[in-house]
Amino acid sequence: MLALAPPARVRSLLEAARAATGDGRFLTKHELATLRAATARFVPGPPYDPDPGALQAGVAEAIDLMLGAFRVRPPLIHAGGPFSGRAGGRRDDFAHFVPLDRLATLGWRIRLEGSRGMRSREFAGPVVGLQEIYRKGLAHLDERSRSAYGVDFAAAPPPAQDAILSDQSDSDTQEFVGAALANTLEAMYGAPEYGGNRKLVGWTPNRWLGDRQPAGFSPAQVSSPDPGPRVGPAAAALFSAWLAAREKGRP
Amino acid sequence: MSKPSVIVVGSGAGGSVAAWVLARAGHPVLILEKGRNLLPGLGHRGRPGSRFGNDEVKSGRFFENQDPLLEPRAQRSQAEAEQGVAHSFVGDVNDLPTTVGGGTIHWDAKTPRFWRHDFKGLSMFGPVPGANVADWPLAYDELAPYYDRIERRLGVQGDVHRMPASTLAQAPRRHQFPMPPNPPMYAGLLFAEGARKLGYTAYPFPMAVNSRKYDGRPACNSCGFCSGFGCPINARGGAAVSFLHRALLHGAELRPRSFVYRVDVGRRGHRARGVSYLDAHGRRRKARADIVILAGSAIETARLLLMSSSAAHPHGLGNRSRQLGRNLMFHYFTLGVALFRENIHAWRGPSTTHTMDDFVGPVTGPDARAAGLPYFKGGICEVGASVLLLQEAQLYTALPNGWGTQFKAEMRDLALREHLGAIQLVGEDMPQKANRVDLHPRLRDVYGFPIPRITYSPHQFEMTASRYYAQKLIEVCQAAPGSISAGLTAVPLVPGGPGSGLEGPNSTAHIMGTARMGNDARRSVTDRFGRLHELENVYIGDGSVFTSSGGFNPTLTIMALSLRMAEHLAGARGGGVTDGRHRP
Repeated sequence: MLALAPPARVRSLLEAARAATGDGRFLTKHELATLRAATARFVPGPPYDPDPGALQAGVAEAIDLMLGAFRVRPPLIHAGGPFSGRAGGRRDDFAHFVPLDRLATLGWRIRLEGSRGMRSREFAGPVVGLQEIYRKGLAHLDERSRSAYGVDFAAAPPPAQDAILSDQSDSDTQEFVGAALANTLEAMYGAPEYGGNRKLVGWTPNRWLGDRQPAGFSPAQVSSPDPGPRVGPAAAALFSAWLAAREKGRP
Repeated sequence: MSKPSVIVVGSGAGGSVAAWVLARAGHPVLILEKGRNLLPGLGHRGRPGSRFGNDEVKSGRFFENQDPLLEPRAQRSQAEAEQGVAHSFVGDVNDLPTTVGGGTIHWDAKTPRFWRHDFKGLSMFGPVPGANVADWPLAYDELAPYYDRIERRLGVQGDVHRMPASTLAQAPRRHQFPMPPNPPMYAGLLFAEGARKLGYTAYPFPMAVNSRKYDGRPACNSCGFCSGFGCPINARGGAAVSFLHRALLHGAELRPRSFVYRVDVGRRGHRARGVSYLDAHGRRRKARADIVILAGSAIETARLLLMSSSAAHPHGLGNRSRQLGRNLMFHYFTLGVALFRENIHAWRGPSTTHTMDDFVGPVTGPDARAAGLPYFKGGICEVGASVLLLQEAQLYTALPNGWGTQFKAEMRDLALREHLGAIQLVGEDMPQKANRVDLHPRLRDVYGFPIPRITYSPHQFEMTASRYYAQKLIEVCQAAPGSISAGLTAVPLVPGGPGSGLEGPNSTAHIMGTARMGNDARRSVTDRFGRLHELENVYIGDGSVFTSSGGFNPTLTIMALSLRMAEHLAGARGGGVTDGRHRP
């Protein structure tokens, strides 16, 4: 289904998707529920963390929109520019997505759909598309959950979900986690025009002002420290541990 | 009588400067660029616009960047090459933006000059075992006037009165910078104080960023989305907005999405007739011209010349010296990082506003001898950078099981974007014959041509310098007021030797040296102006011609060399721009 949608259409696309069958643009209703559960473990919200998480940000819905990017025109891949209207500027340019040309379309079709055995798509070797990674990965989470806990992944208790997602010995799960986590971060902390970060819940609790053009920052805001929380020994310990883990975690 | 026609391959730093000089001198100029044009209004009256925003998602989605699924590169180490391994990696190997304007579309516009000693490494310091050190066929003083003029056209900020005497002795300047420095970033001020306590000097980083309205473009407002992001307001100078725009207004023609796959030479093999390319619809076409200038950056230019082999040029066009593709140089980045108590917001501003030259070297004596080296050098430091929000999230989650409540707490409470400050060494890379670009024997890109294969291993020179200066970077981090913890890290997402501090040369986007210039045609690929020794009318206008990599961001030097080459061409071929005066 190709829909020529108006510029500020992302929100309405999301609403439309929810209203009808409950299916998403690409994912089924059940797959969406599984993805909501997984992304909620990646970026937890209440009651596991005081601030809104992936569920509240609409991360799963935004990922579904990306997986079905080619169902709308132009595809929801590259937001427009230069301004979002959140810090000045007359309109939300971000919502005017940039059309892909012939080659950019091919690249993104390969990325989303995979090379599917077509030599004409295997410039970098065979590519498993994101759609397949999600479809198979979400099904795999259900299998793992059913065999261990007797219920679908979305119905398993969060500690059980964590145990499945963090199993580094399961390469199928980790292939899914690699892709889904990267997309989760984009949808959580990226611009809301991509469909996630609803009500700016990825930005506000982190004191992130987001996009500041065309207002920018004043010389004082650049050259003096910001008020706000200071960090102390606890953060220093976290920092050292993080540096050490990076050192150790390298291939 | 019309002037000789020119084809320029590539619209980045070198190509745009050459196109501007030659179009302005009245030459018919055709620019073929394999990427898209993302700047509305480019080449039309008024100022170009921008389709870039403060958008971390888009920059990760191959908006301006080369898509490695379409145009991958292959890589292997020197050891793997010796064992006959075809490649050990396929994907992004130092990919630059593939778009009109090239790498300067998302550079942070740092524009240090090379130093006197960078041009004369062999005669000043002698050979380095295992490296292919040579003097450039020109000296700093010859390039200096071109540096001056590029800085004015591009719009460079800085303050000559705050530059160390040692820097000015190596890179003397006749003029103050066209613009004063940006508001200093707070983190830069803290590191500068730390550096001062240790006897070092941090000073305003010369950069092509408007601190006031300049060239019809607005002042930078320190939005923080600089390195790796297209400028939403074109406050940054660059190939497209500072040169190509004017070249087009002077009548040059730009054809985006045109992939040049061959330089066509005449029967006797000593003149190019033009180029063959695929147009935006994928059709094979030919363009003819009197002069061909190659400026696709060092990897792509070497690849194109290797693909242009013929009976007269069996090893690649202009490769009788067998140096083509060799002496490939990448800079490496070594980072010291500090955690600060306060919110120092080092992500705001044009990536960094301070630089430091105290770690350029050379270092001789016991530290060098212990590593079996006559000497080693480091490079310039970019002082006081941090990460944006999504980049921070990607840092934490790069660790296994780095997600969940702990991650969420790190985003809120560790908040590296607010408390981290980094100081980054841009280290000089020795030229080695075995570090090279050649054509992959099997893999083809979306255009149907062999992908470039990079064989690369660091030399002991870089390993030693990185280790040596890493300790000094940490000392500066510790001396910065308010820092409560310091350590070393590296360019994210790139595998490398644990603990070496030398990581990520495959992602530093500084690419040089595959067609080095020299006076001796047996040992170099181009002459002192960038003309292929064996061809009368083929020139190189990008970083391929660098004979050494210096420890300095290369773009200003690419532009200055291209300006010099293009004016030489315009003069030699009856062009008009020979007086060396700057006229916008």
